[in-house]
Amino acid sequence: MSENALAEAAGRVLENLAELEPELVSAGIFDSGLEPVATSSTDVAWSKQAAALLEALEAGSAGQTLDSAHVASTAGEVFVVTESGLSLVAVTGRYVLASLTSYDMRMALRDAAREGSGQGPGGSWAKVRKATGEAENKGRSDA
Amino acid sequence: MLKPHRVVLEKVNSYTEEAAAFMRRRRHHRREFVRIRFQSGAEADLPTGTPEADRIATAARRLIELG
Repeated sequence: MSENALAEAAGRVLENLAELEPELVSAGIFDSGLEPVATSSTDVAWSKQAAALLEALEAGSAGQTLDSAHVASTAGEVFVVTESGLSLVAVTGRYVLASLTSYDMRMALRDAAREGSGQGPGGSWAKVRKATGEAENKGRSDA
Repeated sequence: MLKPHRVVLEKVNSYTEEAAAFMRRRRHHRREFVRIRFQSGAEADLPTGTPEADRIATAARRLIELG
């Protein structure tokens, strides 16, 4: 997966996520080395703090592999979702729908990973449809 | 028909219940938590006061402050 393609895809999915989540304050996608791939904040301190949070979550996972996390404070909430070697950290306002936010974040990460790996949107589905069509026709072109 | 003192008592009781509900809501709104889900499907609510939960909560709080 080329770094530029991934960064572009990550930036795009963050924009989409911001449209889906009106309560989203800031978000960033990080690679497995906790390096920022794309962030909505231009502040470098934000990326460093998000990486520190990911580190703290890893330390708090007691050897288990982290899937997602939800941290609530009086001032806001932070969601973390990991998928396909990428982690998405999002800061939101208080009392957002947790399951919906996590779902949107997971879909965003999958999109970023898929588009970053060179597959266009819906690329894998096109293959599935084609494969299914061929299976139904049992390979005959006149069916 | 209820006796006058009963009406007053019911009113006071109703106000007390409202106040108690307000306090319960306020407590709930102020609750902080750290919830982690693992790839195994297990989920953990880290108890507040433990070093792990405090580290995560502090990092999250700073992130929220940065906006």
